[in-house]
Amino acid sequence: MAPERTNTTWEHGYHTLRREKLFRNPPTDQTAYPALQEAVNPHIEAFNALFRNDGKPSLLDHAIAEIGTKTFLDGDERADPASRNKLTVRYKSVTLQKAQVAQSNKFAKRREIFPAECRERHVSYRGKLTAVLEYRINNGDAHEFVRELGQMPIMVKSNKCHLENNSPAQLVERKEESEELGGYFVINGIEKIIRLLLMNKRNFPLAITRPSFTNRGPSYTPHGIIVRSVRPDETSQTNVLHYLNDGNVTFRFSWRKNEYLVPVMMILKALVETNDREIFESLVGPPTSKGVENTFLTDRVELLLRTYKTYNLYTKKQTRAYLGQKFRVVLGVPDTMTDYEVGTEFLRKVVLVHLGCNDVTEEQDTDKFKMLLFMCRKLYALVAGDCAVDNPDAVQNQEILLGGFLYGMILKERLEDLLSTALRGALRDHLRRNPTDSFVSESFRKQFPGHIFRKTNENIGNALEYFLSTGNLQSPSGLDLQQVSGFTVVAEKLNFLRFISHFRMVHRGSFFAQLKTTTVRKLLPESWGFLCPVHTPDGSPCGLLNHFAHKCKITTKAADVSAVPGVLLELGVNNYSSAATTESVVVMLDGKVVGWCAPQNAKPLADTLRQLKVEGGHGIPLELEIGYVPTSNGGSYPGIYMASNTSRMVRPVKYLALNKEDMVGPYEQPYMSIACVEQEIVPGDSTHVEFDPTNILSILANMTPFSDFNQSPRNMYQCQMGKQTMGTPGAALAHRTDNKMYRIQTGQTPVVRSPLHNTYGFDNFPNGFNAVVAVISYTGYDMDDAMIINKSAHERGFGHGSIYKTKKISLKDDSRTRSSKTTTKMFGFAPGSPIRASDREMLDEDGLPYVGRLVREGDIIAAWHTVSADYSGKLVNRDGITHWERYKEAEDAFIEEVRVIGSDTGNEPLQTLSIKLRVPRSPVIGDKFSSRHGQKGVCSQKWPAVDMPFSETGIQPDVIINPHAFPSRMTIGMFVESLAGKAGALHGLAQDSTPFKFSEENMAADYFGHQLMKAGYNYHGNEPMYSGITGEEFMCDIYIGVVYYQRLRHMVNDKYQVRTTGPVVPTTGQPIKGRKKGGGIRVGEMERDALLAHGTAFLLQDRLLNCSDYSKSWICRDCGSFLAVQPTVSPFIGKRKQVGTVRCRNCAQRLDQIEDLDLMKLDGEIWEDGQGVQWIGGENTTMVVVPGALKYLDVELAAMGVKLKYNVDSKDQTRRSALRPTAPKLLPSGVAAA
Amino acid sequence: MSGQDYEAPSGAFSQRDDVAASSGTMIYRCGDCAVRVPLEKGAPIRCQKCGARVLYKERTRRMVQFEAR
Repeated sequence: MAPERTNTTWEHGYHTLRREKLFRNPPTDQTAYPALQEAVNPHIEAFNALFRNDGKPSLLDHAIAEIGTKTFLDGDERADPASRNKLTVRYKSVTLQKAQVAQSNKFAKRREIFPAECRERHVSYRGKLTAVLEYRINNGDAHEFVRELGQMPIMVKSNKCHLENNSPAQLVERKEESEELGGYFVINGIEKIIRLLLMNKRNFPLAITRPSFTNRGPSYTPHGIIVRSVRPDETSQTNVLHYLNDGNVTFRFSWRKNEYLVPVMMILKALVETNDREIFESLVGPPTSKGVENTFLTDRVELLLRTYKTYNLYTKKQTRAYLGQKFRVVLGVPDTMTDYEVGTEFLRKVVLVHLGCNDVTEEQDTDKFKMLLFMCRKLYALVAGDCAVDNPDAVQNQEILLGGFLYGMILKERLEDLLSTALRGALRDHLRRNPTDSFVSESFRKQFPGHIFRKTNENIGNALEYFLSTGNLQSPSGLDLQQVSGFTVVAEKLNFLRFISHFRMVHRGSFFAQLKTTTVRKLLPESWGFLCPVHTPDGSPCGLLNHFAHKCKITTKAADVSAVPGVLLELGVNNYSSAATTESVVVMLDGKVVGWCAPQNAKPLADTLRQLKVEGGHGIPLELEIGYVPTSNGGSYPGIYMASNTSRMVRPVKYLALNKEDMVGPYEQPYMSIACVEQEIVPGDSTHVEFDPTNILSILANMTPFSDFNQSPRNMYQCQMGKQTMGTPGAALAHRTDNKMYRIQTGQTPVVRSPLHNTYGFDNFPNGFNAVVAVISYTGYDMDDAMIINKSAHERGFGHGSIYKTKKISLKDDSRTRSSKTTTKMFGFAPGSPIRASDREMLDEDGLPYVGRLVREGDIIAAWHTVSADYSGKLVNRDGITHWERYKEAEDAFIEEVRVIGSDTGNEPLQTLSIKLRVPRSPVIGDKFSSRHGQKGVCSQKWPAVDMPFSETGIQPDVIINPHAFPSRMTIGMFVESLAGKAGALHGLAQDSTPFKFSEENMAADYFGHQLMKAGYNYHGNEPMYSGITGEEFMCDIYIGVVYYQRLRHMVNDKYQVRTTGPVVPTTGQPIKGRKKGGGIRVGEMERDALLAHGTAFLLQDRLLNCSDYSKSWICRDCGSFLAVQPTVSPFIGKRKQVGTVRCRNCAQRLDQIEDLDLMKLDGEIWEDGQGVQWIGGENTTMVVVPGALKYLDVELAAMGVKLKYNVDSKDQTRRSALRPTAPKLLPSGVAAA
Repeated sequence: MSGQDYEAPSGAFSQRDDVAASSGTMIYRCGDCAVRVPLEKGAPIRCQKCGARVLYKERTRRMVQFEAR
């Protein structure tokens, strides 16, 4: 009998044995938690689409086809193109190898490189990217050649990763988590993911009114139609139609970050051979139709046709040649192309590329023509007010930009750039250097594939790695995106909830973060079931950073819709179209006008199509989105808009007619009637019903127990705090080298949880602990969200955690430029150097720390010395100096692991060291905890167990919280959890906490109350309790129960900041900023105001002066200047510093400048300055205390020629000698002479 | 360095370590095949058996003792 496949269904029970077995013997067939993998799959599938191995064309194949053949000419630029030699180059294929050891490494037995090794060695997980190219000279024979394009980072668990389809047992063997999810890249040992971004829905003409459209030029109006047209290789080109005041329409597009405007008529005429009548009738309708009665439209179309007459372009050929002539330079096409060909190329590359961007057929041009006409029609309807504006901020008109696709876009652009810009440069360079060479010469043929091609910067892998490590996009075209940075984030494994959330996160784009309006952040009803209404951070990214509902999927493969047009034709779709939506509405499939149908037939048509699609077997895929927009009075433009492409959000709901699962997309959902629960089904209206109301919540929001009882913001807070919890990041901690990792030692499974907790396997990553919580105001240390921990609980390990820090010590120059390959430094003690015993003792023989040792601040954790090669090439140390690496942090830590890292080639001595340190963090006063209901609190006291209150059964709480935490916050869910937890603990049950299960008739409090009653406890969860101090019973009963608590990562040990004196800024003398550097916290204006208002002048002076830029300074009493004073220099003592007297240079007189100097007549001491100049006077100086900043200000002002004079009160003047009248001033020289 | 002054009583292990130390050879543990890899000072970092490029330092045999407070 074959062994049973691993069971993958879970409900809310504990399943202790089942989990234990899964842990001991990881399954060899499949994971027990497929839902977890499902959550990450969009990332992986998108990457897989780049290089497919199932025979179908991959995204890269499409991209290579679109890049096409590049042509280069040699010889004189001004010469006739026909007389020059032609070189054509194209890509034949581009392949990516799995990560492998370099060929030069002869030692490795196993050639694969696994992601775990990359993490441990702090390198990137990447494989060799190779391109096969082909070139022809003058249409001669094709020559193939192969180029290596560098090492390209590979997504973990993708089809280019060794871990693809690995069973949990294999994953464990390869040093991964048993439930490794993949979906990220390993860059320099750090896990990076490409953010999902919300983009405009592709291939769909959006009606937009945007005031900034008027900036395009005179007569431009705010009205426009935007189509984000996406090629089969997932690159996009946005086309916009602008409406002008006079009724004209222009076509706008961006090419290499520049905008271009073309009259739409020119494009229409270039696409197909047509005439004005055909265009008129296609826009308005046949002469008999109702569209002709629409004079608003006919007037404008007439004008559109008339104004175009000025161009005098009538045929398709003329128009294309005209376009080609204008856009020849912009497109950068070779000189051999005729204007007509350039015009065709323009249409291929720019106009509605989703309808054909490669070998465009006439049929595809007709499709583009029809689509463009439809867009004009919608634009005129928008202007007339017959059609409402589409909201680009609603999920309805959005799709997801998947990381893998973005990665492919960058790769494509780099490939194209290599073949056009870079190769052109290399060729020009070569021809200039060898003027005798031409494309036909033998030396050129020899050198081209190797020598010349190498001159191009062909390391594409590096460029991709740069993108992933910085998240910055360096692109000449901008890739039709609105941002250039912030594309990647680190997938922090702080705890598992945070990690998994990274993959379900979707951002609106950093462009919108700067927007002042809040419209983009609003939670719209369209998001229902696709984006979680709860799980968004509060603060600046609120509403921009959303998370998918847990059942929301993203399509990564275009569904096969080849049968759909046939079915549509059978259902009565025809070609009769009119501008009046009462006469005909459009039927569109993936941005292609399939046909038209009468509005009264549209609904039955859509309904039938849905029936067929859910039923299956009619060639209509289940993922097909059938957006039926009904005819309305000024609502959205009616029609049936179908989509089958990738990057759409879809979600499962039950189709009532067949009782089967239907996949619903965001575009169709607003026009459908989906009942939330079975009871809400309206007969004759509802077509669908939700499988579960909790399907609208994200994975994290589903983990909040009884979240339907809470005030909504509290659930949002919990989603934030769940991600900041010190939890269990994973089981393969020994193989991870994250910079910082948090881990809780005593994690437990919650008593109260929803079945999804098991489905997602969160018991493998416990995130908190069950605590007995009493709600009581007891100690006086529980004000303002403080909580008291039972000291005995703490001593038994309550909430104990540790931090793992990894320090990488590298002796190599970490510079990007590969400097000399010679080893200049080595780990270990320099031979023969004198080393203190206390230093020697800290390290092992090899100069590395002992594993398990305690390190304190300033301890040595590694030793190294310089080496150089001697005559025989041996590396020897010459200076005999041992250098130390020290442990700089203040906290004690233990050496957990010491990793000795070798080079890629396996022949380098030790140059890189990775030391993992463990910092134990038992809870201390000031650490932050929270329940799962947004109720956070800071530990304020560890209360001795003897003084804790106790219940009649002798139970003491682990945690005491203040009752005031509840009335204003209304987190009733926490009460219910407490009740359920208590009952569950008493009966040994796991309690199901799925929201929306209880109702007014069937109350949660009643359900759990009865369970408590059965266990012999009070129905309401209150209990009589006794004071631990007096032993007396409290006046009232205390609410006590079991609540799951999380320890948050914010801990005082990382935050406390105290100082009296310390490092200062040299210019001002004020304390520096920053906790790390021992700086201070600013006492700002408002703090100053508070101290002033309190009248606490002494405190104020202490903060603002004594602990800040207190400085003693000399000042001249007479002239009131800080700057004119100087110390005297005694000519006898020499350079020795003396506490000399300070004199004012300003008030003194230079001895050699006094005329008729008579030393006898002088009163006062003669002093000397640094130059040996003698002075007299200026004695009236004194020392004052001033802020350093004041002196700084004085200097700054002096530099501008502004003098400050300080009046020093003479009352506090120190007396120098016996009281006598002040010394007579030096007599003016004239008087003295007389 | 409190509590770390203690040196393990010399047994079979430490004797071998002493021999190893005197010749400058240290023992590491291979990350892949868990084999003990003796490496001389300045030797290339790789497992002699499987060529793995990450080696671990073994836990010290010195007694590690801390005050339990």
